[in-house]
Amino acid sequence: MSALPGPAAGEAPPRDTTRPLAFLPAARGVFGLALEGMVWSRRSLLMAVLLGLPVVFALLYRGFLVAKVPARVTGLDLYAIIVAVYYVRNVLPLAALFYATSLIADEVEGRTLTYLLTRPLPRPAILAGKFAAYLGTTLALTLPALVATFLLLATARGFAGIGTAVPELFRDMGVVALALASYGALFTLLGVVLRRPVIPGLLFLFVWELVVHIPGYLPRLTLTGWLGSLVHHQPAEEGLAGLFQRQVLPVGEGLVVLLAASALFLALSVWVFSRREYVMEQ
Amino acid sequence: MSRSRLVVFISMLVVGLGSLAAVGAVYLDPARAAVGPLPPEGLLLPADARFVAGLDVKRFTASPFYKRFRAQARPEALRDLEEKTGIVPERDVDQVLVAGRPEGGPAAGVAIALGSFDTYKLGRSIETGSKRKATARTIEGFTAYVFDEGGKGPGAVAFIDRQTLVMGSLPAVEAALRSRSQGAVPLKSNAGLMALLERVKPGATFWMVGDQSLLSNLPGSVPGPGGGAPVTLPALQSLIVTGDLDPVVSLSITGDTPDGESAQNLANILNGFVGLLALQAAQKPELKDLATAISVSTEANHVLVSARFPYELLEALQATPGAAAQTGPAPPAP
Repeated sequence: MSALPGPAAGEAPPRDTTRPLAFLPAARGVFGLALEGMVWSRRSLLMAVLLGLPVVFALLYRGFLVAKVPARVTGLDLYAIIVAVYYVRNVLPLAALFYATSLIADEVEGRTLTYLLTRPLPRPAILAGKFAAYLGTTLALTLPALVATFLLLATARGFAGIGTAVPELFRDMGVVALALASYGALFTLLGVVLRRPVIPGLLFLFVWELVVHIPGYLPRLTLTGWLGSLVHHQPAEEGLAGLFQRQVLPVGEGLVVLLAASALFLALSVWVFSRREYVMEQ
Repeated sequence: MSRSRLVVFISMLVVGLGSLAAVGAVYLDPARAAVGPLPPEGLLLPADARFVAGLDVKRFTASPFYKRFRAQARPEALRDLEEKTGIVPERDVDQVLVAGRPEGGPAAGVAIALGSFDTYKLGRSIETGSKRKATARTIEGFTAYVFDEGGKGPGAVAFIDRQTLVMGSLPAVEAALRSRSQGAVPLKSNAGLMALLERVKPGATFWMVGDQSLLSNLPGSVPGPGGGAPVTLPALQSLIVTGDLDPVVSLSITGDTPDGESAQNLANILNGFVGLLALQAAQKPELKDLATAISVSTEANHVLVSARFPYELLEALQATPGAAAQTGPAPPAP
């Protein structure tokens, strides 16, 4: 049998197919594939609606409500409540839950995981590519809504006072990214460990995270406690909720804790995913 | 480029353009610029202010000065704030700005406090718990609490937003709220004070600038040493004071005089007073240290006085004369 012809002059040598792809090219490939599946999905449509609701509210405020609301309630006050309460405490954790838990779970449910695992792709690269796609998708949906909400509300009564608020916008964008990263990493871990991660994820969000209202050390064991402290706006809790005012934790410590937690959860996810045997249900 | 990457690219483009627009809006904000150490909110202070002063409350309350001399050191503005509103300055207030006006008396000042305020709780606290009876009113759309309404010189506290409150005489507070609702910046029209503020470097724990209208009340002469002929003080045109309290009490005073000769004369007079302090060392040795801690110099028509007082020196000066006499200078060793 004659030998196969070698590569032509100037062409790269063929890849050694006995070894898996390097991490970065593999992750990039998975990222592209996962992004395509995530952005154009019903889940993204629903999330876009949820994340875009403040823009609708801001338009309504500018169009109709600004003349009816007392002057002491400024657009920036409303923006502060939207960021601190709507985004950071509610919608972003939910978005992370529904996207991140399904990174691997969707592949398992669709029985396509086998095809992915039989490719010469390192398992850490698969998870990294999918996580990057999750971050890209959620940030692409959230950040434009946040910026649009800010511009619409902050300028509702003119440009007075916007100078001091613009740095807050950039800070809020950072907090949003950190919230998606930290919740995403946690729910990715749940997704690789548990078969049905959504219910435990919901319990975490709506039971454990409520611990943030308890005085003492417990708020430091929640993600929402640290994220809430990074946000500059601290809306007043009125009525009964005022009895359980959130602690404001140190900002520097919060950054370190959230970044470390995200890294830890991701590392654990990669470790579990790399070693776990997935058996498809017949 | 795939469709999904195009979507992500477009959304990042929207974010980028929005951020640029936000930064651009900063330049359209009429009160955007802090002037020297004065934050934009300080531009609501009245245009006819004689002096403007600022205190970084966080740095002040964290300083050794406050910890050691708290009972005497707590400024009147902070006491007034706590008494009227229930705000704890050490916890809730970042900065206090005060402006003094020509009328004189307690109604002449207006203050702006910057920090984090729970306006609902504070409103309840003022209405129910304040030692002085307060009436809630709406002025220019803002909630204000008026004290001693109907009395002589009613005062008021108003929340502009969750980070800013203004307090002072009722007319002054009304004027500030009116300016805020109209987007006006009255203090900016006071060119003299603005020019002084631009000369103050931000970062001091406390600062004050005063123009000629403040200094017009200063005496024109002081008694001469030893009861001799009075010494005429050169006219000061403006005054800038900045200070820090950590690690030592440091003070820097710059006075502007009409010309270099006046500056030199004033510096000589001040050096004379410092010398007098040193001469009192026989009765109180700490005064000599005090004198050496003060330096006076001139630069063109500016007189520069700088002082650095260690806390030990201040504590020694605070000791009562009786106690000082009992623990007076140690007897000479045999």
